[in-house]
Amino acid sequence: MSKDGIVFDIQRFTIHDGPGLRTELFLKGCPLRCQWCSNPESWKPRIQWGAYPSKCISLEKCGLCTAACPVKGVLNFTDGKLTSIDNSKGVDYSACAEACPSDAIKQWGKSMSVAECMAVIRKDKDYYQRSGGGITVSGGESLMQSDFVAELFEACQAEDIQTCCETTFYTKWRNVEKVLPNTDLWISDLKQMDTKIHRKYTGGGNELILENLRKLADLNQRLILRIPVIPNVNDDPVNIKATADFILNDLHGRVETLQLLSFMRLGVEKYKALNIPYGMEGVHFDRKEFQAHVEQIADYFNQRGIHCLVGTKDKEVEAVKKN
Amino acid sequence: MLSTEKRYHTNAIGIEPFDKSYGLGYQVNHADWSPFPRVNDLRQTFLDRPYDIDVERLRLVTESYQKHQSCSRKLQCAYAFENVLLNTKLYIYDEDLIVGEIAAPAKAAPIYPEFSVNWIIDEIRHSPFEEREHDKFFIRNDKDRQEILDLCQWWKGKTIDDHLQASLDKDQLKGSEVGEKIFQTNLYHYAGVGHLAIDYAKLMKVGYVGLIKEAKEHLAALSKRDPEWASKRDFYLAAIIMHEAARTYIKRYAKLAEKMAQTEPDKKRKTELKQIAANCYQIADGTPKTFWQALQLFNIATTLIQVESNGHSISYGRMDQWLYPYYEADMKKKSLTKKQALELLEVEYVKMNNPTKLKDKGSMAVRNGRGFGGESLTIGGVDREGNDATNDLTMLMLEGSVHTRMMNPWICVRMHEKTPYELKTKVVQCIRAGYGHPKLYNDAPAIKAMMRKGMTLEEARDYCVVGCVELSLPGKEYGWHDAAYVNTAKMMEMVLNGGRSFNTGKQLGPDTGNLAEYKSFDEVLASVDKQFEYWTDQMCSSLNIIDSLHRQLKPLPYVSLFFSDCMDSGKDLTEGGAKYNGIGPQASGTATCADSLSSIKQLVFEDHYCTGAELLKAIKDNWEGHDILYAMVNSSKVHHYGNDDDYADDLFKYMFECYCRHITGRKNLRGGDFRPGVYSVNANVAMGMNTHASADGRKKGEAISDNMGPVHTDAGSHDICGPTALVNSLAKVDHSLATNGTLMNLRFPEDAVAGVQGRDDLLNFIDSYIAKGPMHVQFNIMSSKTMRAAQKHPENYKDMLVRVAGYSAYFVELGKPLQKDLIQRTELHF
Ligand code: SF4
Repeated sequence: MSKDGIVFDIQRFTIHDGPGLRTELFLKGCPLRCQWCSNPESWKPRIQWGAYPSKCISLEKCGLCTAACPVKGVLNFTDGKLTSIDNSKGVDYSACAEACPSDAIKQWGKSMSVAECMAVIRKDKDYYQRSGGGITVSGGESLMQSDFVAELFEACQAEDIQTCCETTFYTKWRNVEKVLPNTDLWISDLKQMDTKIHRKYTGGGNELILENLRKLADLNQRLILRIPVIPNVNDDPVNIKATADFILNDLHGRVETLQLLSFMRLGVEKYKALNIPYGMEGVHFDRKEFQAHVEQIADYFNQRGIHCLVGTKDKEVEAVKKN
Repeated sequence: MLSTEKRYHTNAIGIEPFDKSYGLGYQVNHADWSPFPRVNDLRQTFLDRPYDIDVERLRLVTESYQKHQSCSRKLQCAYAFENVLLNTKLYIYDEDLIVGEIAAPAKAAPIYPEFSVNWIIDEIRHSPFEEREHDKFFIRNDKDRQEILDLCQWWKGKTIDDHLQASLDKDQLKGSEVGEKIFQTNLYHYAGVGHLAIDYAKLMKVGYVGLIKEAKEHLAALSKRDPEWASKRDFYLAAIIMHEAARTYIKRYAKLAEKMAQTEPDKKRKTELKQIAANCYQIADGTPKTFWQALQLFNIATTLIQVESNGHSISYGRMDQWLYPYYEADMKKKSLTKKQALELLEVEYVKMNNPTKLKDKGSMAVRNGRGFGGESLTIGGVDREGNDATNDLTMLMLEGSVHTRMMNPWICVRMHEKTPYELKTKVVQCIRAGYGHPKLYNDAPAIKAMMRKGMTLEEARDYCVVGCVELSLPGKEYGWHDAAYVNTAKMMEMVLNGGRSFNTGKQLGPDTGNLAEYKSFDEVLASVDKQFEYWTDQMCSSLNIIDSLHRQLKPLPYVSLFFSDCMDSGKDLTEGGAKYNGIGPQASGTATCADSLSSIKQLVFEDHYCTGAELLKAIKDNWEGHDILYAMVNSSKVHHYGNDDDYADDLFKYMFECYCRHITGRKNLRGGDFRPGVYSVNANVAMGMNTHASADGRKKGEAISDNMGPVHTDAGSHDICGPTALVNSLAKVDHSLATNGTLMNLRFPEDAVAGVQGRDDLLNFIDSYIAKGPMHVQFNIMSSKTMRAAQKHPENYKDMLVRVAGYSAYFVELGKPLQKDLIQRTELHF
């Protein structure tokens, strides 16, 4: 039976998550709660609404959202502007979002069928084919909707569109298995090798993740691994060494690229819109020093024979220029 | 010959097997862009020079006109040109290898009184050039100032401008630059036309001597039974006088170089000066024999076109093609190395920046910049048989561009299905360097457009770009490109408001209905059609008058002789002597109109969200007090062009085709017809300033939409689906209908094109772009500098996207600290 997906964003022309030019589907729902997450709107599996106060006209001059709202007193205004929406009460705010003339209420999550997604995906087929791109599903945790992804990927493969699944692998292996036959490339994180620390910062242990990665490596699947390098969370020599050991020993080195993504304060405005406190508020560091540190980590991995990049792109060209 | 010191780090790039590197051909270890110290010096000297106004051309031309008051206009032009070339001061600059300026020192602007003087007198008196906000020019002293005023006084009543003011009727005047500026014909109202590329291949082959010989033969063969005998005779006589003057002028340079060589203490420079002299003698009396001589002849021939008239966009044609035989011959003889060829090209590139042009305030507003503007150098593409034409010079010319990074030459790379990977890669490397060049042209729609102009397939394949984006056939077409800027948003205003201006309330055009009264969307479209018909009537008839005045008052025998059909027919370019003749006015604000129609169609006639009267009132009130409607028309709830959404894209297509339909096929006086262009360059900003609010959610004074681009208002960008969606929207119109060109700017952050993958992504994106069929594209790669500017002036950078692994946001919407972080990060990336 065909299953709809809860999609919270479709971005065309993405270039970082997989090769070539891609369309990226962001699926809603995630079992983890990484403190540095830049997409907090992806956490809850159900539809949510957020407020963009800078776009709000004002309660006084407009107020169409309150007029349309099924429940009174759940839209929070500060200085006359809509500042947050209470998503904890299970209210359906779609009428408010519909009534708002100024895009000040954003609905995160939309139920979409495979056919509807394919209609969008197909539009850029030409770009995928010339660039070796395709589609990437991301999240959230994409495999929370593994039936949907499995069906979507099958449809893509039928139309010769390459597929990439970005997942935390914090999921049962049977979910991976559903998607596996039609997945060309996997992207996943290795956030922290110590499960206690992992649990502290993400809300879950890493055992399941590591186990899934091992199985994937045994099946010789194409895999890109990423470390979101967070100051004082996972950038210490102990974790870096453990990560390298794991890749070489447990994964037999079967990783196409290891990408180091330096921490950036992304998504702050979304935390505000969702009325969720931002966990990384207190993190301060010197960008230049930190970047140099990340470069050193990359050097370490490369020395150990793991192809490692800072960022998602090869910098060969720049290197030539500098010699 | 040239010096070739070991410390030059250039590896010239070729497609020949001996060189497989696709980089830009420079490695660092030198402070400037170019690996040639000479080029860096020349470039710096150029930058350090002031923008002066030079009185010499004005003086010499006036003197000659005063002396030759009774002969025909063609001969008057010839004598004036001769007087300039025989008497103008000559300049050979330190380290320069190629000589010839536009009868003024480098970077100084001469005056061309033949076209207009009223504004010169007026601006000197009331708004001095020295005090302009931008595009300042400096008169050197009070004596010069007085002389300019006195000489200009003599020209009053004699110029094209004076005659034109008297020839336009009130309907034409009210819409033009002197009225409400619905269309602006400033450029050729106050100055020369230009916008052409001569047949350089022929010039190189026969030289001035060959052209003069041919003209003399035609003159001798003229029959007195020909009713046009006198006019043709004068054409040949004038052209011969002018081309002989050119030879004399070149020899004057030869002598000066010889003289300088005698006293030059530096041995190396002495040799160079001697070679410059030898080059000049060779091209004055014969044809170029070397690459260097070909460039020397090119420089003289081209700058003299700019001495004859101040028409801009005198373009260089398919330079990698016509120059190649000289490169090849020298390389085969081993008398030239790639390094030397590149240095010569770069020296010439810097030199191409020397000509500057003093423009009136009004023209400056639609087309700012102190250069002439739009001198395009076309490379790549297919040959006349349809095969790829890339050669080593194609590569070298791109490299020279990235080494000099100046306004000129404006490199245009013709792209097609079989453009070699090596060339594409180098193109992408240049684009990524972030200096705005090269622009890319798409052969398929361009060739189709040329054929729409009546050319054969072989001719069409030989097109080059002149000016910003206009297509032209070198040596065969006088296209009068860039003839007028049309503010379509203002025409839309007439549609909404019964032919009346929002600004003044005055009745300007016919009353074709108004938004409060239209019963259906079809009635709106019918009204659009009628207003466009009326205003294009006014504009095109005005342009025909301007065209006829150029013919009457300022024929162009010098440049005409480079056009074989003029040579054969005895007709000047202004008389329709070229094989193909056009007039190309261009539309601005197409997306503003499209999104306006979309608001009206959706909100008034489909959703009944508001009435036409309400929307009209909101626009009249400049949206003040209509916050909800204002937010709505700017929101994602209304269909907008640029999002791969057929609803809005169809309306864009309607507007695009509506403009093209009303221009195409109208006849001009030179036996050709009118050709539509759809681009604004940056005139959309000035046009927006005097345009009232519009239905797309624009407020009064904001820029109207640029070129083929989507709408950006103060409330936000209307395209929100990224570049692939935008390009898909763009590709829904048949670009070849705009036979005078279309223009598209795309902006990418540096990050998106960084590294090997970024390079390949951009390359593949361009491949798809070309396959989808838009005619032109130019990329903007954002640097940290841009980001800093965006922090200061967020209002100008609304559409700037930052993308970092799976996350994207508008830069200006991010908090200050994150912006800072991004800026730093980007710097670290590069
Ligand atoms: S409807 Fe939108 S613009 Fe109006 S008050 Fe509510 S949030 Fe603000």
